[in-house]
Amino acid sequence: MNTSHRTRRDRHRTAGTVLAGALALLLAATGCSSKAEGGDKGGEAADGVRTGPGVGADTIKLGALTDLTGPYATLGKSIVQAQQMWADEVNADGGICDRKVEIVVKDHGYDVQKAVTAYADIAPDVVALPQVIGSPVVAALLDDLERDKMLTFPQAWAASLLGKDAIQVLGTTYDVDMIAAVEFLTRTKGLKKGDTIGHVYFEGDYGANALEGSTWAAGKAGLKVAGQKIKATDTDLSAQVSALRKEGVKAILISAGPAQTASLVGVAASRGLKVPVVSSAPGFAPQLMKTPAAPALAAMLNVVSAAPAVSSDLPGVQRMVASYQKKYPDSPVDSGVLSGYNAAQLMGADLKKACEGGGLTREDVVKAHRSQANADTGLGTPQNFSDVDRPAGVKTYVLKPDAKAVGGVVNAEEAHEAPGVEDYLSAR
Amino acid sequence: MSERLLGALTRRRARLLLLAAVLCLPPFYLDAFWLRIGLFSMAAAIGAVGLALLSGTAGQLSLGHAFFLAVGAYGYAWLAGEPGPGLPPALAALLAVLLAGAAGGVFSPVAARVKGIYLGIATLALVFLGHHVLLTADSVTGGFNGRSVPPLSLGGFTFAESDPELTVLGVPFGAEERLWFLGLALFAFTWFSSRGLLRGRPGRALAALRDSETAAAVMGVDVARHRSAAFVVSSMYAGLAGVLLALAFRRVVPDYFSLALSVDYLAMIVIGGLGSVAGATAGAVFVTALPLLMTRYADQLPLVTAPGSTEGTVGPTEAARYLYGAAIVLVLLYAPDGLHGLARRARDRLRRRRTPTPAPDTTVPTPPQPAAAARPKEHTP
Repeated sequence: MNTSHRTRRDRHRTAGTVLAGALALLLAATGCSSKAEGGDKGGEAADGVRTGPGVGADTIKLGALTDLTGPYATLGKSIVQAQQMWADEVNADGGICDRKVEIVVKDHGYDVQKAVTAYADIAPDVVALPQVIGSPVVAALLDDLERDKMLTFPQAWAASLLGKDAIQVLGTTYDVDMIAAVEFLTRTKGLKKGDTIGHVYFEGDYGANALEGSTWAAGKAGLKVAGQKIKATDTDLSAQVSALRKEGVKAILISAGPAQTASLVGVAASRGLKVPVVSSAPGFAPQLMKTPAAPALAAMLNVVSAAPAVSSDLPGVQRMVASYQKKYPDSPVDSGVLSGYNAAQLMGADLKKACEGGGLTREDVVKAHRSQANADTGLGTPQNFSDVDRPAGVKTYVLKPDAKAVGGVVNAEEAHEAPGVEDYLSAR
Repeated sequence: MSERLLGALTRRRARLLLLAAVLCLPPFYLDAFWLRIGLFSMAAAIGAVGLALLSGTAGQLSLGHAFFLAVGAYGYAWLAGEPGPGLPPALAALLAVLLAGAAGGVFSPVAARVKGIYLGIATLALVFLGHHVLLTADSVTGGFNGRSVPPLSLGGFTFAESDPELTVLGVPFGAEERLWFLGLALFAFTWFSSRGLLRGRPGRALAALRDSETAAAVMGVDVARHRSAAFVVSSMYAGLAGVLLALAFRRVVPDYFSLALSVDYLAMIVIGGLGSVAGATAGAVFVTALPLLMTRYADQLPLVTAPGSTEGTVGPTEAARYLYGAAIVLVLLYAPDGLHGLARRARDRLRRRRTPTPAPDTTVPTPPQPAAAARPKEHTP
């Protein structure tokens, strides 16, 4: 009896000691926790510029959540290198706001969980993100980016990303591209009322948004759309070609990846379905021109894009291509290089403007960005960022594959706004 | 004799308290990056315990765990959010767990009929079905872009950045810090409830079922009922893990709940050691935290370059994948019974060294009795 009583008290005492010890440890230890100091709340730098996360006395840090090891590794590498080249050029010129620009690159390999953790890792140390690759990644980060007021240029062009103050889709959205594509087909390829066009599209945001545009434009032009939904893992489109052939399509739109475009065009050509094919911008890569499908692509394919071909004679583009080839002689120059460099330049313009306004906090950068109504980098058409709900650009180029050109494409039509785009945007 | 038992109990309790106190420390020191890894690990541990119950103890192979996680995560986001019924978040969390259980219940007639690899294939269908529904049922799931997750609030206290503002011991408590304690509480609940289940009659019945269905039936175990019950309970743990994951992510997207996630969960319980709660937890932390940490710190290794630089061929993500793969191979080679078995053997060896009784039986490694009862047998489908 007595012994059991003693042990119970012992037990209490041991538990109490442990608890008290732990509490003492906690109290003593939090004294030296760096988190208790309140962290870097920003303030005013010595030169009178308001600073926030990512901006020090002589550095500005930008972040990039990219994919260097997953399905978009080639694109990721091009953008990272192009933006690094931009940062080097800016720093050689004395930087922005008397600060050196530094880009913190995080590779998520197209994995949502890795990307979200990487974001938590870099978010306290960067002021904006000129590159985020991967629609699921962007989707998972939407709320965090809005809350942190982190100006972000995603490498995705779905209209569902519009309407968010901190997130900026650069150039046109997929639906606007497809309206231009349908207009291009009716104007130059002789499609008329009652004809059917096929549209092969990825499931998900990209395809759905593109289909929205093509359906609207086809309805206006009196055409019918035969849709074929595919997955990103489908790389043999024989079944889709057969189905479209049965529908008697006069032209085909495709909003998928380069592998799918090559398969569609190659199979269609070999089966005698020789109709014009128009692809969304992400559906083409210069590597396709080294595949057996190259002759068919050159004969049948056009690409609609907000950016000009890398081989275009715009002086800004030519200058960029020359310095890129000098800096990275082994890397191909593709559309990723152009879009990455363009995004970095726009980010630089925003930072400069924010600096002129006297502040480099995230709020200042977003505000500066939204005040740009005619941002022209000389790498394509000027963009308007002042309306959150509207695509930044409405003008599109039509490109044509050409194995001999830099980047595998040449401009077929200069930038113009397709008739009907304005109606579409106001009806939405 | 009883005094020794009580002494052991006291020591055990003291150890547990110390462990709890240590687990309470990270929010005071580590930043959001580490806390998120911790949260993901805790959520994974809860889910893995559920799968350990089903696959490890009851011997039912399931590749559909990602589906039940998704039901929990999306169930919570829909029930507590807008558009949706907009219920109080705590109630929504509870209902989401029950919903996942109900989903498991609906599927359990299948689970009661097919077994082994066939059940694995049948559950595989759930993942694809679920993914398709998540993408297409826009009004409920938000389609491809998913939907944002309303923060959990309990009696006026919100697990988010503010409302109320909170500073403990000089450390500002944001969403991650608060969620850490919620995660700990949920994990503790999972730990004790599942151990109770495994060590009680249901656990023994399930283990008997796994080893021999006929023998179990002869001993009076209701085969069909226990098989489906295991499925329901496992789905509920998955649902709970889904709710915690959703809260940690703050936005749920369909692409996360893919087949790869199901395979990850299987990897957790195999690496941890089939059929034990501690093993499943260790496996969950291993599979969740290791790749994230390796990706973060691999550029400190020689020959590994920072992402994006042109020289060097191996980036941190690639290096992390090699290392992670090597770690899995090593664990499976040197600890075929998982991390749990490894820890047990290490403890046995330590104990034998500490008791210097040169009795002849010390040369024969005899595992302790209770551990032998819970020892996982080879899986025979």
